[in-house]
Amino acid sequence: MFIDIDCNQVKKYNQNAYGDYFVSKRYPDEERLVAVLSDGLGSGIKANILSCMTATMLLKFVEGDQIPIKDAAEIVMNSLPICQVRKISYSTFSIIDINDDGLAKIVEEGNPDFLWIKNGEVMVPEYDSISSKTHKNRCMKSYRINLELGDRLIFCSDGITQCGLGNEKLKLGLRREGLIKIVLSKLEEEPDISSRELSEYIVRQAKNIERDRNPKDDMSAVVLYCREPRKSLVFTGPPFLQNKDPEYVEIFKNFKGKKAICGGTTANLVSRELNIPITMDKTISVGKLPSCSYMEGVDLVTEGILTLTQTLEYLEDGELNIDNAAGKLVKFLLDSDCIYFMVGAKLNQAHYNPSLPIEIEIRKNIIKKMKIILQDKYYKKVSVQYM
Amino acid sequence: MAKVNVKVCLGTTCFVMGSANLQELIELVPRKYGDLVDVAGSPCLGLCSIDWEFSKAPYVKVDDEVIKEATVEKVLAAIDKKLGK
Repeated sequence: MFIDIDCNQVKKYNQNAYGDYFVSKRYPDEERLVAVLSDGLGSGIKANILSCMTATMLLKFVEGDQIPIKDAAEIVMNSLPICQVRKISYSTFSIIDINDDGLAKIVEEGNPDFLWIKNGEVMVPEYDSISSKTHKNRCMKSYRINLELGDRLIFCSDGITQCGLGNEKLKLGLRREGLIKIVLSKLEEEPDISSRELSEYIVRQAKNIERDRNPKDDMSAVVLYCREPRKSLVFTGPPFLQNKDPEYVEIFKNFKGKKAICGGTTANLVSRELNIPITMDKTISVGKLPSCSYMEGVDLVTEGILTLTQTLEYLEDGELNIDNAAGKLVKFLLDSDCIYFMVGAKLNQAHYNPSLPIEIEIRKNIIKKMKIILQDKYYKKVSVQYM
Repeated sequence: MAKVNVKVCLGTTCFVMGSANLQELIELVPRKYGDLVDVAGSPCLGLCSIDWEFSKAPYVKVDDEVIKEATVEKVLAAIDKKLGK
């Protein structure tokens, strides 16, 4: 199961900083994800600092796994200072710690209750209520729930549930009921909507309710969606032993998901084994890279080392919308959740010709770096097989 | 008369050794020969790995004839020869 998570925010009208703060981190080795949403008291820079500190500290606290999430949250709840102006705790938070089997531990303090949607219905989970021993008006809710494929969780800051407060139509604001209505009708329309799109939709709708579309508070919507992972396979480089070609091509052929080939020789060997012709554009290069070729049943066919090197650079620099072979590969990789690399270990002696540019690196090294960046910066699950 | 088939290798070695500069062929050839000649790229002609000791990339194939260290002039000359000009 793959957890698709995304957050969308808008600032309070006339402010130049977000008062809500969202952080999330994936731990591929533990098959786990931790995310925190915090709403700092007030708005602008002050709220930004408060919520940022609370969220970052909680994330660090929870990821260490040295104390249970409930205790971590309780310590933070008890130690949050009191706002001088309003005499209440200076930020609120929601934490979620979820693994790939769908077991989720959630703690909330001060934020609107989250929504758990299963098969188009809102579930009512049980929770433990923990009151602060040091502060009377602080109380957190701790949940332990099991999510299944297709389930969604929606967290938001009170800017969403209170939007429209005082309007003709919504005297008490959107409230939880209004939010549920918005979400369920959208889900009915688009049952497979991604977390990114749904969170954008919620915030956009909330903003539309406000007078003159000016948010009176910071708004954040975090959406979690448990779904089948989008898998993709990148086949690059010919296998070390040529007699293994048919075996690996068979794996490539039977793979369920999107497929890419990076390498001229590799494309030729797949074309030969599967008897599928390769066609090419009427161009030689686009942006200093050889242009792509086409093969039926394969989503992307590019040249090897140069394109991979450029792709790695784009991923490092965060340049994600470039129209050449490497740009297409970037898009291919980022549109997937789980990426498998099949990396051939056969060397082409011609690449070691001293007159070739120094940038031509060993394929294994490029893939090694690409794996790290896809995992750490883009939260993908990556596995590499050498052959 | 059968068409003359020109394949420009776009493998890594050939591309960095100069086939990137053969784009001109793609535009020039149809203008000069019309329908008689077909030019296209190829993911890799597989020649650099055989010939590496004396690597003569970039390679272009005009029908079965291999042109080493290909340039636009060399390729055009080979096409002319094929067409009996």
